[in-house]
Amino acid sequence: MQSLKAGHLDASRWERRLQKELMSLMKEPPPGVEVDGDQAEQNLSLWTVHMKGAEGTLYEGESFQLQFKFSPKYPFDSPEVTFIGSNIPVHPHVYSNGHICLSILTDDWSPALSVQSVCLSIVSMLSSCKEKKRPPDNSFYVKTCNKNPKKTKWWYHDDSV
Amino acid sequence: MGNCLKGSSADDISLLRGSESTADSSSSDQLGPPPPYRVESLPVYYPSPNISRPVTQLTEEEQVKIAKRLGLIQHLPTGIYDGCKKNRECVICMVEFQMEDCVRYLPCMHTYHVKCIDDWLMRSFTCPSCMEPVDAALLTSYETN
Repeated sequence: MQSLKAGHLDASRWERRLQKELMSLMKEPPPGVEVDGDQAEQNLSLWTVHMKGAEGTLYEGESFQLQFKFSPKYPFDSPEVTFIGSNIPVHPHVYSNGHICLSILTDDWSPALSVQSVCLSIVSMLSSCKEKKRPPDNSFYVKTCNKNPKKTKWWYHDDSV
Repeated sequence: MGNCLKGSSADDISLLRGSESTADSSSSDQLGPPPPYRVESLPVYYPSPNISRPVTQLTEEEQVKIAKRLGLIQHLPTGIYDGCKKNRECVICMVEFQMEDCVRYLPCMHTYHVKCIDDWLMRSFTCPSCMEPVDAALLTSYETN
């Protein structure tokens, strides 16, 4: 019964899953994706992922940094994923503070998803963009939002990009 | 039907109370927050995937929802991993199944460790792999039982 109440993997299984994800992301990263392995090894709950804009897309030649934070309840809780650093992609679903409006990061999260599948979704979200612009409510949102994007009640309405 | 949740019947609402409730049966009926030193040991439930509440703060409606869910979970078949090549790994903990592992089969035939999938089903009644709702197939058998 204890596991039903606890609601998370015990520490050793949590660590093992993240170690496994880290190894596979270092060995076979999706194109344009590179995880900072040393940093993640030091603190398994905070990863930085470098991402390159795919060739032939509006983001070709650009580099971005993504931050992944894992709570002790990962993978039952989704990771907290934001763009960080000096270059935040200009995209209709990416706020200038790095928050990303992407349903798999909250409502549509499943423990079968992984850092790798989240990275692929973000690459594909960037790649399908037709016009570089900020979300229409960007300035209001960044002034009023919580630091944690998972506290935002996202309203997913646009499946085209 | 086998299950790994021994010692409780499907509709036992006492599951929703903390383990302390046997020691001090009046505490679960009290209104207001429990003494601070107890907070850590109170079980937390997820009426919806993104809403977590300690057991003392669940609304009546949420208690019913969770009690139903506990009942439904116990109607999902379990078994011992037999080396079936189709399901090699539990995608929740990402560990390969070992012979003798206690596994649970969802109606879509995706298989997980019992302790892994039960934690997820308490939050969301969907299969993590195919996102199929688990309820639909279950409810029919639940009602005829």
